[in-house]
Amino acid sequence: MAYTAILDKLTNEFEKEILSVDENSDIVTLIVSSESIKEVITFLKEKLDFIFLTDLCGIHYPELEKELGVIYHLHNLVENKRIRLKTFVTKANPQVDSIVPIFSAANWMERETFDFYGIDFVGHPNLKRILNVEYMDYHPLRKEYPLEDGTRTDKDDSYFGR
Amino acid sequence: MNHINSEHHLDLTKEEEKGYTTLNLGPTHPATHGIFQNILKMDGEIIIDAEQTVGYIHRAFEKIAERRPYYQITTLTDRLNYCSSPINNIGWHLAVEKLLGVETNKRVDYMRIIVMELSRIADHLVCNSVIGVDSGALTGFVYVFQEREKIYEIFEEICGARLTTNLGCVGGFDRDFSPTAIKKIRDFMKNLPKEIQQFENLLMRNRIFMDRTINVGGISADRALNYGFTGPCLRAAGVDYDVRVMEPYSSYSDFDFIVPIGQNGDTYDRFCVRQTEIWESIKLINNALENLPEGKFNMEVPDFYFPPKQEVYSKMEPLISHFKMVMGEINVPKKEIYSAVEGGNGELGFYVVADGGRTPYRVHFRRPSFIYYQAYTEMIKGSMLSDAIITMSSMNVIAGELDA
Repeated sequence: MAYTAILDKLTNEFEKEILSVDENSDIVTLIVSSESIKEVITFLKEKLDFIFLTDLCGIHYPELEKELGVIYHLHNLVENKRIRLKTFVTKANPQVDSIVPIFSAANWMERETFDFYGIDFVGHPNLKRILNVEYMDYHPLRKEYPLEDGTRTDKDDSYFGR
Repeated sequence: MNHINSEHHLDLTKEEEKGYTTLNLGPTHPATHGIFQNILKMDGEIIIDAEQTVGYIHRAFEKIAERRPYYQITTLTDRLNYCSSPINNIGWHLAVEKLLGVETNKRVDYMRIIVMELSRIADHLVCNSVIGVDSGALTGFVYVFQEREKIYEIFEEICGARLTTNLGCVGGFDRDFSPTAIKKIRDFMKNLPKEIQQFENLLMRNRIFMDRTINVGGISADRALNYGFTGPCLRAAGVDYDVRVMEPYSSYSDFDFIVPIGQNGDTYDRFCVRQTEIWESIKLINNALENLPEGKFNMEVPDFYFPPKQEVYSKMEPLISHFKMVMGEINVPKKEIYSAVEGGNGELGFYVVADGGRTPYRVHFRRPSFIYYQAYTEMIKGSMLSDAIITMSSMNVIAGELDA
């Protein structure tokens, strides 16, 4: 099945939910509304053979209205086709449906994303920090946390092009 | 003594709950080969439930990568799966090349194949010999570690380092294979089959080893796919997914090799799949070495190719460009890419979002063992403690890759 056929089926089924389609990226990329990401992934898995969840990670764009994003990479192993899905949520309401019922692999990946970006995966069986210590009270991969100590005065970043 | 029939027995779970033992396996335990903690709920010697604690050597690579120029991230990838660092290094270089749109020539590709397959052999040798150790056979381990040592000597000759190699650069290699390196690879390849055969004779059809590994820690193909398994662990379950074949990179399509698969996805199948892959890697290296084309060993990618030191010290322009590169004052296209290579443990993916600046906006490492280690509980439930140990070593979970 060519990508056009896949996209046709998807856009027929989810006319409103798919917000944009980018075919020029290295992998066809769809932006999906956060309420319907679970349905779209279920449809991809059950109807279009995207049976493998390659990757799931978060991203943070502080300048956008919906700052936090979740990025899914799915793989159709039968026809060797990949697809990338993105969904964005606000920092105040970072709720995204968990896809653990669809892919067991998502369990730790969602915990990792929660750990680093604070995205609340609704319906996750055990949503707690995975790589960082449990008493940590912030989500370190968000852009407001600089890597180096912000209080240092002995180093002028402009000399280093930063 | 009261007779308890099986139905009655099930009703007693509440009572038995009190009799369960909680066992802390790890974080530092000689049998787990790394810093892993498993909190096991045991009924005698049977595992009822397990919970993994990961993150003991978490080093925030993804955050660090957001502040580093692209060429400096190679050193971070060394520390993912440190049993096969060169695959990670080259995987990262391939990702950056995809970002920049750089094509490499055949010589670079073949040189990379030689290095990557050597590290795959090293990776699989460690894993398989450790399965032997955990089942009580130390001999094989000592035999093949000598071979691993020789592989590290080859890496030392190629790039100067042994474990955390930081090998090559974007666009190829820092220097060509020296005649000594070629000679070392040839000598090694001549000797290796004999040693591997000896190792296989010790374990492959060994009755004790087979009894200890067959039907231990098995997983079905369906569950393995659902759990995101890749690499030898997935192939042992019977799915022939290999990134080298599915999406050939670095001219793997020029070579003929078999993708071995197992049937039951158990420890023995994983052992056999890795063992067969070693033989295939030997074939690949020999082929690549025979057909190594002439040509450049570096594609001299602008902004990523360091000018020769002699010129840096004597001429103005090379000095300026050297300085700019070292400080990372280079721009890359605004793009996002996902690039994957077949690592020692499976699909090692690099998801890079570039915003055009000196550093990536976001880097995500898809670490295969992080994803499939979560199936561990399911794989060891109902089995004995000693089976749990051998299952873990056959999954080849590497702490550095797990925790990033």
